Amino acid sequence: MADGCLDYIAMTTLPRDQVRSMMGEVLAAQGKELPAEDAALLETIGFRSLDFSELALRVEDELDEELNFDAPGLRSIETVGDVLTFIDQLQQA
Amino acid sequence: MSESSTAIPRASCVLVSGGSRGLGLALVQDALDAGAKVATFARTITPELEKLAADRPDDVHIGSVDITDEKAVRTFIKEAAAHLGPIDALVNNAAIGQDSLHVHTSPERIAAIVATNLTAPLLVVRAFLRHAMAKSGRGRIVMVTSVCAQRGYSGLVTYSATKGGLDSAMRTLAREMHGRFLVNSVAPGFFASEMSSVLGTEQLSTITRRTPTGRLVEPENIAPVVRSLLFDDTNINGQVLTIDGGGSI
Repeated sequence: MADGCLDYIAMTTLPRDQVRSMMGEVLAAQGKELPAEDAALLETIGFRSLDFSELALRVEDELDEELNFDAPGLRSIETVGDVLTFIDQLQQA
Repeated sequence: MSESSTAIPRASCVLVSGGSRGLGLALVQDALDAGAKVATFARTITPELEKLAADRPDDVHIGSVDITDEKAVRTFIKEAAAHLGPIDALVNNAAIGQDSLHVHTSPERIAAIVATNLTAPLLVVRAFLRHAMAKSGRGRIVMVTSVCAQRGYSGLVTYSATKGGLDSAMRTLAREMHGRFLVNSVAPGFFASEMSSVLGTEQLSTITRRTPTGRLVEPENIAPVVRSLLFDDTNINGQVLTIDGGGSI
């Protein structure tokens, strides 16, 4: 297969900054703010598992691709940075 | 036509689906201990099951069979009966799990869970009944379902639907096989081993604390109940017996 074809079928990925701003939108809709630091704890800012789900679905909408995943992977996510990395990994998978 | 009203005889030869490890293996061992012969299949045969078959060649028949392969299941039943004699009881145990929110579970995964946990067990029941009706005329069926069929637990939408489907089928079969077969479900709660593989120590201890008996379920808790349904004259029929330490009350 020619390289051009590979480029054509490769899934587009959203940059980390864009996912971060989408995460901010999810929180803003609940009157919460997304801190600038990646180390901020999700428990502290009130970002729950269904908020993660909403963010993943927003990213899917943007990509027009499903990013299905099992729950155990989510249970180790504790910080804003973890969320962005997890979404990044889902897009690369 | 007159109907028999005598007790359904105790099981003499039990077919267990998914008997290679965990609860399935415990149920195989328990049925053997109760004096029955056992035929069991699983996708992968474990060394433990191989050893059982080697130790008791006249009482155990094993096979590597994917439960979704209907023809292979029918062939297994025929071969097992040729080896052990007529099969008069079924423990429908094989299943696959789920741990994902419904919105993040792919259509392919949903189809696979339904195929393995609902369609295939219904076809195993059909194949078993066709065999048992012709050979011994009467018998017993135990569906291994789950407390998830009765209570909502996040991450288990399709799994719960399949287990609820089996409970419903069980009740209808209990009516349909009037006087011929006792049909019941056992519905375990969450097994300590399963939970510990996906949850942290803190979450595990919270769930344990919320369980009135103070402990999660082990296969050893399920086996005596299945044994009773297979071998005792209880007259229990069309029921779901929940075994979860009272966690769902």
